[in-house]
Amino acid sequence: MNNSASSQQKAGSSQFSTSNFELRTSNSELIICEGVWKVYNEAKPYEVRALEDLSLSIKKGSFTALKGPSGSGKTTLISIIGCIDRQTRGRVVLDNKDTTGLSDIALSRLRRQWIGFVFQNFNLISGLSAWENVSAPLIPMGFSIDDRRRKATSLLERLGLSGRANHMSEELSGGEQQRVAIARALINEPDIVILDEPTSNIDVESIAVLMGIISDLKKNGKTILMSSHDELALRDADIVHELKRGRLSDN
Amino acid sequence: MKHVNLLYAAIGNVTRHKLRSVVVILCLVAILFPFISAIAILEGVKAQSSISAGEGADIYVTMDMYGRNGVIPVNMAEEIKKIEGVTRSVPRVISRIYIGGKLAVLFGLPVEEIKQMSFLKGSLPEEGGIVIGKGMADALNLDIGKNLEIGVRIISIVNRIPLVLRKEYRVSGIFTPESGIWASDLVLMNITDANSVFEMEGFATDIAVYTKPGYEAAVSEGLQRISKFFRIQTKGLVRSYIESGFNMKGGVFVALYTVAFAIAIPALLVTSGFGLSERRKEIGILKATGWQTTEVLEMVFFEGIILALTGAPLSFMVSYIWIKFFNGFFIAQLFIAGIGNIPSFTVPARFLPLPFILSIFLSLVLTMAGSIYSAWRAATVPPAEALR
Ligand SMILES: Nc1ncnc2c1ncn2[C@@H]1O[C@H](COP(=O)(O)OP(=O)(O)OP(=O)(O)O)[C@@H](O)[C@H]1O
Ligand SMILES: [Mg+2]
Repeated sequence: MNNSASSQQKAGSSQFSTSNFELRTSNSELIICEGVWKVYNEAKPYEVRALEDLSLSIKKGSFTALKGPSGSGKTTLISIIGCIDRQTRGRVVLDNKDTTGLSDIALSRLRRQWIGFVFQNFNLISGLSAWENVSAPLIPMGFSIDDRRRKATSLLERLGLSGRANHMSEELSGGEQQRVAIARALINEPDIVILDEPTSNIDVESIAVLMGIISDLKKNGKTILMSSHDELALRDADIVHELKRGRLSDN
Repeated sequence: MKHVNLLYAAIGNVTRHKLRSVVVILCLVAILFPFISAIAILEGVKAQSSISAGEGADIYVTMDMYGRNGVIPVNMAEEIKKIEGVTRSVPRVISRIYIGGKLAVLFGLPVEEIKQMSFLKGSLPEEGGIVIGKGMADALNLDIGKNLEIGVRIISIVNRIPLVLRKEYRVSGIFTPESGIWASDLVLMNITDANSVFEMEGFATDIAVYTKPGYEAAVSEGLQRISKFFRIQTKGLVRSYIESGFNMKGGVFVALYTVAFAIAIPALLVTSGFGLSERRKEIGILKATGWQTTEVLEMVFFEGIILALTGAPLSFMVSYIWIKFFNGFFIAQLFIAGIGNIPSFTVPARFLPLPFILSIFLSLVLTMAGSIYSAWRAATVPPAEALR
């Protein structure tokens, strides 16, 4: 919709500095979490503190991994950073912009321009082909169907799915579905790529393919945040944070 | 381009969620079909009652009697004909009578008028003969050549004692179903016979007056000059009888329609909620990948339009086929008084543009009602929540 505007914003990031938030960090830090809480069903007997006073910063262009036992809050943290969930308390700053009080419209815009999110269970739309899934984010941006198909197909090719563009998403293997999900996350050329346990639903070979894709993304300057249990996958990360019951154990 | 894309996405969604779309459209048909049929039949009845047997006259003249319409001497027809601008004046005897416990319309016309009637099996009524409607022939098991006894209650002018007059008439013809609703329960005879039924020789219930175009006012004045006791009207008796028959059923229709609505609207809400969790998830995915809430709603809005624009014409078609090809089997009796499952006449119907537009509007309201709100709910929570 406003590609030119978005690249402008990305280039001149300083114009985003928030007035009442004192930046302690250098410009190289793209993502900052400060005292983030996520409490489900707060003040009820079955209250769950998924994140407790969590602070974290992620450098631009880095590959950051999150590990931790099941239920430790990985998905929760990653969702909040990816602007698809809201924290209960605390602050999340993306590229010097505080996302805390942003409107629904501004958050949608952030997701469109900055973030590619790969869900743990992929969340492809059933009944749509691979390329239709990949290009769904482009529909409201005014790209013609030919442009969308071309963009999606070439991205799928880059991810090693050349012959699969017209297959229905449910006809694909787990590893292939994941790459379709990655392609969808990349279609808007986001700066931040977030992957939630990308290694858990696919086999060893697919993990190897995935790690190749991630290292390519990193080479292209993307900032990558991934949660995973897989030691092999964690080895490639620049930094690994460990979550335990909603807190970073390495802090 | 953006809006075109959203429209195409909406079309894709409608075809992708086939079951849901089909159920929504069927619900629309269930709601709109009785609505469209009723209006079509109502309009048909209206149109037909105004074109049949002297009902297209410009003026109807009766005589004032206790402030109501009273009988008028038949020979007045000749006087009226002399008024400047009058082309035809036809004395008629029209009455509601009970035959075999059934309400019927007795219609007496001068012989030369009867000769113009069509849609007839058998022959026109001679002296002592009658032509009856198909509905009555079926109900009383009558056929050509049989006799029908007609009895009416009158008050003797001489000694004021009420008495019942019974006379037998020979069925000489039967109206065919094509002659329409007005003829179904009709007993047609020549006016002198009709007079004899009531022992009212020389009197008509009204005189139908036809004028040259533009002469109505002048003729009305001329009529008042002949007698200031003339009552001058513009709506025929047969027409008012038929319409009151319809109105009798109006209440039934309203009740039925309320029931239809009461059932169909929750059904529609259920179906729009049908597959809602899948819907919710899809909306969550779109929002997570950068769609704006307004864009999601626009797409859902287009879906509603597509469903409504399919449902309303389909309802129209079903209604048209039902009435025209199945002669309104079963449903016509809900809207027209005194007919059975299988109407004994061709059910009159007119399909006009206004009800069509109305039904499209109604379908739009119905399809939007459920979908927009639930889509808005799914789109305004954080995507992670919609995806749970
Ligand atoms: N909608 C919710 N309502 C209540 N509690 C929730 C909700 N979502 C998550 N939780 C709880 O929050 C905690 C963190 O969940 P989260 O999904 O972030 O864990 P995770 O580290 O991603 O686990 P896994 O490795 O199994 O995916 C868990 O205890 C979970 O039960
Ligand atoms: Mg998880």
